[in-house]
Amino acid sequence: MEEAFKMLHSIFRVWKRYYDVFRKNLVYGVVTTFVEPLLYLFAFGYGLGSLIPTLDYMGVTLEYRAFIFAGIVGQTALFIAFFEGAYGGFIRMYYQRVFQAIAVTPVTLTEVLWAEILWDATRATFGIFAVLLIGSIVGDFSISGAIAYLPIAFLSSMLFASLGVFVASKAKTIEEIGYPQYLFIFPMFLFCGVFFPIERLPETVGFVVKLLPLTGVAVTARSFLLKTPVDWLSVSASIVWLVVFVPLSISSMKKRLVK
Amino acid sequence: MEKALNVRHLVKEYKMPKGPAFRAVNDISFEINQGECFGLLGPNGAGKSTTMHCVTGFYPANSGSIEIMGRDVSQDPKSARQQLGVCHQEETLDNDFSLIQQLESYAGYFGFAKEKALSRGWELLERFELKDRAHQLSEHLSGGMRRKFQVLRAMLTEPKLVILDEPSTGLDPEARRTLWNEINLFKSNGGAILLSTHYMDEAQRLCDRVAIISKGKIMDCRSPQELIAHYIGLDPIEEEIRPGYKLTRPPNLEDVYLKVTGQRLGGSV
Repeated sequence: MEEAFKMLHSIFRVWKRYYDVFRKNLVYGVVTTFVEPLLYLFAFGYGLGSLIPTLDYMGVTLEYRAFIFAGIVGQTALFIAFFEGAYGGFIRMYYQRVFQAIAVTPVTLTEVLWAEILWDATRATFGIFAVLLIGSIVGDFSISGAIAYLPIAFLSSMLFASLGVFVASKAKTIEEIGYPQYLFIFPMFLFCGVFFPIERLPETVGFVVKLLPLTGVAVTARSFLLKTPVDWLSVSASIVWLVVFVPLSISSMKKRLVK
Repeated sequence: MEKALNVRHLVKEYKMPKGPAFRAVNDISFEINQGECFGLLGPNGAGKSTTMHCVTGFYPANSGSIEIMGRDVSQDPKSARQQLGVCHQEETLDNDFSLIQQLESYAGYFGFAKEKALSRGWELLERFELKDRAHQLSEHLSGGMRRKFQVLRAMLTEPKLVILDEPSTGLDPEARRTLWNEINLFKSNGGAILLSTHYMDEAQRLCDRVAIISKGKIMDCRSPQELIAHYIGLDPIEEEIRPGYKLTRPPNLEDVYLKVTGQRLGGSV
């Protein structure tokens, strides 16, 4: 019990280091966090939404703006958590050597990497909070659903943060992060149900897409925020990604650093 | 009195992509007493930094044991590292923060109260002549100042053992003097130091004992004076420092090093 408390305390100390950096650039962090979802809301919601007033999604008729804005919740988790984990993690590991500096104090490397993932997830959850707030204000989301969704938002963000840290652990140079970014992250953003229901895809492609992590995250967000049915296959797939990649990313980064 | 550091039969091998593992540290043993400065001298790739990484617990040893103030580094790393301060060979400063903020943050990893960390931090910043830079980001400092600050940070939490991996690289003579004074003060207060350096005068001036390490093995370990007397003798040496210009000087650790390893520091003869 005492060991667990010590571990949590160490993780919190490192998490606070990240928070302090964020707090130093608070205005920038808040402005960019709120501007991005507002742009999506206007471009896709009011712009594209005026051309496609409603659509059918898993047997439910939804306003397109609400549909896409709930999808943006998943996209926000994906982009903020992945980029923090991948680019931020690589910079802290390779250029700043923050991990190496902290891991020779009483804080262990495992704790440092847990703090990295938890901070990346915290940062992404803050971004999701901005989307939820705007979506609730314009009346697209149920407020109770948005509040209930926050813990799920954090877990979803942990999934993408761990993918980012895993990529950082494998990249030889910062440019190499571009490969998974363009070959995995952006295709997910386009095809995993953020902009259109994946039922519109050919059956085989749709099945593969259901197994990708963003699909389950978007499905879960819509079920909480818009009361739509749950596709358990895609949700289960996302849970598997989370359970596998959090420990995998930590062990991969340890393997990279510890010789 | 408890040993500040006790290394027994340390072996560290690196897995190679092809072929057998490379043995970087090959069954070395040494201990450091409290209030003692122990130097590791050797060429690049001799195993000095690997030994230091093992002592911090960052690299796991293949075999052997390492204890800091009686705490086993692999079994009880948190407790062992509570007694440890580290100045890496590479820069590991946290450039997102000012100097004083970095000290506060670093001390937090040791569970130091904020007030205590700040009080000790200001004291050290003054002694290391960095007080007027306290609110600057470390990236705005000169290379020598950053190096001094990294040593300062290692001493912040009043550790029993400090690892200094080439601490004076890039320092001007005045800054080196400041650093040497601080190292001597730390020693006189009972602190132990594991020092790696390529500067022989630094080792000779600071170290109570020196281990000459080559190809992962300790070749010899004694006080600098004993090493010089044993391998070279005490008679002055005549050396041609450039064509046609000879100089007579006292024997030093570099002479010992050359004799013991057949190498110059930094490369083969």
